[in-house]
Amino acid sequence: MVVSERRLSIPNNPITGILLAIPGYFAGVWLGTLFGNIDDQNTGVILGYLFATVAFLAGVGFLNYPLERLFGWRVTPVTDPAENRGIGRYLRLSLDHKVIGLQYLVTILLMLLLGGIGAMMIRTSLLVPDASITPAGNYIPLIGLHSVMMIFITSAVIVGPFGNYLVPLMIGARRMAFPRLEALSFWVVPPAAVILAAATFWGGFPTGWTGYPPLSEQAGQGMDSYIVGFTLIAIALVTSGVNMLATIIGLRAPGMTWTRLPIFVWGIFTTSILGLLAAPVLATALVMLAMDRSLNTAFFLASNGGTNYLWENLFWFFGHPEVYIFILPAFGIIMEIVPHFARKPLWGYRTAVVGLFGVALLSWFVWQHHLFVSGIAPVLRPFYMLSTELISIPTGIIFLVTLGTLWRARVWFTVPMLFCLGFLFNFLIGGISGVYLSDVPTDVTLHGSYFSMAHFHYTIMGGEIFALMAAAYYWLPKMTGKMLSPTIGRIHFWTMFIAFNSTFFPLFIIGLLDMPRRVSTYDPALVGLNRWVTVSAYVLFGSMVLFAGNLIYSWFFVSRTAVANPWHARSLEWQVPTPVPARNFDRVPVIVAGPYDYGIPNSRPVADLGGMVGVTGGG
Amino acid sequence: MAVRTHYEAAADAEVLLDTRLTAIGTWLFLGAEIFFFAAWWFAFFYLRAINNNQAWKVQGVGPPSKGFGAVVVVLAVLTALSYFVGSRQPSGALLFRLLTPVALVFGIATSLLQGYGMWHLGFGLTQGSYPAVFSGMTGSWVVQFAVATGWLGSIVAQAGPAGDTIARRKPAGSFAWILLFLAAVGIINYILLYLVA
Repeated sequence: MVVSERRLSIPNNPITGILLAIPGYFAGVWLGTLFGNIDDQNTGVILGYLFATVAFLAGVGFLNYPLERLFGWRVTPVTDPAENRGIGRYLRLSLDHKVIGLQYLVTILLMLLLGGIGAMMIRTSLLVPDASITPAGNYIPLIGLHSVMMIFITSAVIVGPFGNYLVPLMIGARRMAFPRLEALSFWVVPPAAVILAAATFWGGFPTGWTGYPPLSEQAGQGMDSYIVGFTLIAIALVTSGVNMLATIIGLRAPGMTWTRLPIFVWGIFTTSILGLLAAPVLATALVMLAMDRSLNTAFFLASNGGTNYLWENLFWFFGHPEVYIFILPAFGIIMEIVPHFARKPLWGYRTAVVGLFGVALLSWFVWQHHLFVSGIAPVLRPFYMLSTELISIPTGIIFLVTLGTLWRARVWFTVPMLFCLGFLFNFLIGGISGVYLSDVPTDVTLHGSYFSMAHFHYTIMGGEIFALMAAAYYWLPKMTGKMLSPTIGRIHFWTMFIAFNSTFFPLFIIGLLDMPRRVSTYDPALVGLNRWVTVSAYVLFGSMVLFAGNLIYSWFFVSRTAVANPWHARSLEWQVPTPVPARNFDRVPVIVAGPYDYGIPNSRPVADLGGMVGVTGGG
Repeated sequence: MAVRTHYEAAADAEVLLDTRLTAIGTWLFLGAEIFFFAAWWFAFFYLRAINNNQAWKVQGVGPPSKGFGAVVVVLAVLTALSYFVGSRQPSGALLFRLLTPVALVFGIATSLLQGYGMWHLGFGLTQGSYPAVFSGMTGSWVVQFAVATGWLGSIVAQAGPAGDTIARRKPAGSFAWILLFLAAVGIINYILLYLVA
């Protein structure tokens, strides 16, 4: 068979994608009306979203490669990043990990804004104890949209921008293992966000992020947005997991042994394992839910042989590792940044790696603690209580490693370091409150209350988002070539830290006073505390605006060009010039020392880079 | 003796790297696949054990024709085996050129027959939880098998002298593990849905 030189000649960009997605949606809806049940529109809406997504991806350029292969044409090689320059590269399909990292960053920040606005609407409605601001029928969908949007974001907020940009640089690779998969993991996120937001046109969905049947089976077409949006995020997690793991396993530079791997890369590695294996289980559960809603099958319908416990088991088998998908890269960030500003080696590096794997492993054995109040067999409760409590041991190890690194250090209190310290404070509260929720008697009392809500916001926002901010202030100078203003950064940190604790700590008290979550009305006696929380939440939102302002101010108004290594850090990503060259390294570097050998006499530079700038010794 | 240019050596190194990465990626992907199908198997045993409202298999609902199901599984196994054997032959070998299109034909036949079977189940999808599990498990499997067959088609289409299959022969070989895995899942599904249920 002769290979043709022909090429597909569609102009590939997001505009083409959107132009194809619109007819794609209507084609799906039309097909759904042909094959679906007459009494509802679920089949049409689900197919519409799926067709629109595939059409969008085709317009962006994802079908070129498989179609060229299938037609026997000469396949388009992976584009050399050096040929892909200019601002336009950020607006189209790119196979350069650095471009994808920044595409992720901007997209995720926009989604964070949407999710944050949702949070402000929720808190505004809780200014009064009745449902006069937001009617109950609107309050629950608001909770659903906020929660799922935030889950989408927090699944990708570190791995997407920072994992994609930094992992190849940190391991001495010139590219990712599977650039197309990497790009796909990003380009399914915007459709997921749009589809989720489209739920508002159908009145939203009433289930929150957990999607429990039978409510999810009875809900309107907004629930279909949940199904398709979450499926796309599951695809992103799997593709990202395959790509990250294959890159770390297969593309490490010579000398980059497993014991020299930066701890942030270990965080990405462990979280990728969880994403890769947990997301398919969610995908299966979503297929079942879609079938129940569109084909009237009975996976979760008790009257017809199904059971809602099937969903609860499958969902939480994904859902609890998902929590660690959020937090493991955050641990990686904290343990990565602290040694650089403590100017000490990471204390107990190997123990920290064991801790990361310990958390990842145990996260598979705890999911039924979410079912303590759902009618789980009492005989199972002790096991899941103990396994959940056990997870505090590797988490504690990670905590101790960080504190050990800080012990007797002459700390350089930069903005990233402040956020690391903020993380430690917040996560300690989040972790300790989690122990109460792993304990059956207290969980039965507190599960449906604001105590639980305060706990997971302390771990996710107080943990992961503070780590995100540390990462942003630390690595954005390398990624964008511009330093962020440290003055605004300090104001941002203190505002965010105080407002965060002022928002969420009172929620523990509100929870102990029995205020149920997901309910728009509450005991008027709690109005004072709720107003305090709402005002604090506004300030918290303001601190995020301050961060956005710092980005805009530093990038567009004050051109503080970042030098190659502004923190005098040893790790490999800081040894390349800023902006990072198209192929990262002139030649594949040879790693000769670990990244945290600070203060060690006569320690060698981290790598032989063949004459590139910025190699830092033990200093 | 032919002198290898620097460009040729670099291209060879790139192919070797691709081979290694594709092998790693394939095994990782199969890990995800195991969890995807394990969730279906869990649903099978869970719903069968609970038998809520005595509606696992209501009166008159049973597996479709066992013979038809066996034919589909045999075809899937033949697809995987023929491609597996072909992909292990030296580059440009006759057996490779022969077996790969044969595998493609088997793959298309598997997908079409299973698709036909899905339209003629002999029971309604609303008749209890066995029909739900049967249609979900088999449907997920056949969709993946059809996509894999499409990829197999692209391997055949790129099997010419300047094609990608020849240029990157060993990465194409990793794909055989995916077909073997799907065939194995087909066997397990058959045992569960036709014999154990």
